[in-house]
Amino acid sequence: MNSAGVAQSVLPMASSDLSLLTLFLHAHWVVKGVILGLLSCSIWVWAIVIDKSMLYRRSRSDMDRFETAFWSGQSLDELYRTLAAKPAHSMPGLFVAAMREWKRSFEGPQRSFAGLQMRIEKVMQVSIAREIERLESRLLVLATIGSAGPFVGLFGTVWGIMSSFQSIAASKNTSLAVVAPGIAEALFATAIGLVAAIPATIFYNKFSGDVNKQAQRLEGFADEFAAILSRQIDERG
Amino acid sequence: MQMKTASVISTGLHILVLAWATVSFTGKSFEVTPAESLPVDLISEKDFSEMTKGVKEAPKPKPKEVQKPVVEKVAETPPKPVEDLKSKVVENKKEVAVNKEATPPPEPETKPDPIKDKLEKPDPKPAEAKAEPQPLPPKRPPRPKHKEPKFDPTKISALLDKRDPTRAAATGSEINKTPSLGSATGQAARLSQSEIDALRQRITQCWTIPAGAADASDLKVVFRVMFRRDGTIERGPDPVEGSASPFGPAFADSGRRAILQCQPYTMLRPEHYDSWKDIEIGFKPSDMFR
Repeated sequence: MNSAGVAQSVLPMASSDLSLLTLFLHAHWVVKGVILGLLSCSIWVWAIVIDKSMLYRRSRSDMDRFETAFWSGQSLDELYRTLAAKPAHSMPGLFVAAMREWKRSFEGPQRSFAGLQMRIEKVMQVSIAREIERLESRLLVLATIGSAGPFVGLFGTVWGIMSSFQSIAASKNTSLAVVAPGIAEALFATAIGLVAAIPATIFYNKFSGDVNKQAQRLEGFADEFAAILSRQIDERG
Repeated sequence: MQMKTASVISTGLHILVLAWATVSFTGKSFEVTPAESLPVDLISEKDFSEMTKGVKEAPKPKPKEVQKPVVEKVAETPPKPVEDLKSKVVENKKEVAVNKEATPPPEPETKPDPIKDKLEKPDPKPAEAKAEPQPLPPKRPPRPKHKEPKFDPTKISALLDKRDPTRAAATGSEINKTPSLGSATGQAARLSQSEIDALRQRITQCWTIPAGAADASDLKVVFRVMFRRDGTIERGPDPVEGSASPFGPAFADSGRRAILQCQPYTMLRPEHYDSWKDIEIGFKPSDMFR
């Protein structure tokens, strides 16, 4: 039949093979671009997720280990010496920064107790801010992909459906075998968008919660350590 | 540093998932189970109104096929009576023709029986004719036993009987038990449209509308009438429904008079008596003047 022949030429894969690869290969180039972009977004999202979850787990275990060492009654100077050797983040980093400031104030030519309390607090605030920034970095990527991914996928779908409607109009044949592949390929874009966006949203929420928890823990330690140092300053002064 | 390993892991995961999806996501064609078709007969209004009581699944009579007769039994063959050649040549020829026709067995009901007319006619000389055996007509199925009938005084009455072997409906041994096609609630007879029209026309002829009522188009009265089989009125007409109007009583009286004057209603066929023995007749000036 004539119309069938036209349909075959316009949509060569009509009804034959519907695997993902053929769907992708026969899509419009805009749809292809959307799919590829969303795929790379998904890869990026998962890379961030893996990285962040490893980072958070490590920093949490660092904090736990440091807190047990800190409250074990060990001498702070000794603890400082062991920790200062290697660059530390998180709670040990906070401790090292504060201790360094303390040492500098005591080991210098003239002792400057006057602003020591304030200086230590400042140093600790800065290192907390740096630590939080380190924890929070790239979380915004998750948020962006989580919110924009479905829209990008929807754009690909709309474009694909538009082009498949044009094929229908060109082939003058509305049988489902002609319509279906184009629509399936278009819906594939939405599916990829959702695949990228759903984990991004979920992990963004989880990670921002984790960051808040760790920040609070750091703040609490900083306050405690500032109180200890301030008592030392008053005793020595 | 760390981000690199994470990206590698993520890329590997995605490749795995995509490979799995490519393998598993294949469009299976739907299996369409053929639905059982529901036989639907389109019948005309006439067929429906003429539907007789019967069983739904009964086989439809095929027009070409000869239907099984209601009763099928061959009556006892009487000995062929011997006839006077000279006096009955013409009749005998006729019989031969009939016999030729009759050789295909079924169709007992439709077959005309020309001999029936002669049944009552007594044969004056049966014994005399017996002496000279008559040659049988050539096309006849051979019946060697009766070629030379012997005289048996006990069978004189059989000899007198000149009937062909036929089927007697009343003495059938095998009865056609196949129910005829129809619905379980079907009533053979309905009041056909022509009968209704005839009734309406008849009543309209007899009806004199009271002066003034003709203008009131919304007047209406309905009578219930019960008929006898001969078309005369058994009971009624009893007013069932009527519109409230100052003309109402006069209008209703005119309708009752019309119904009573017009009887008997011979256009109602007695074979459909069940469908018209109790009917309601409505009077509306607007209808009647149409």
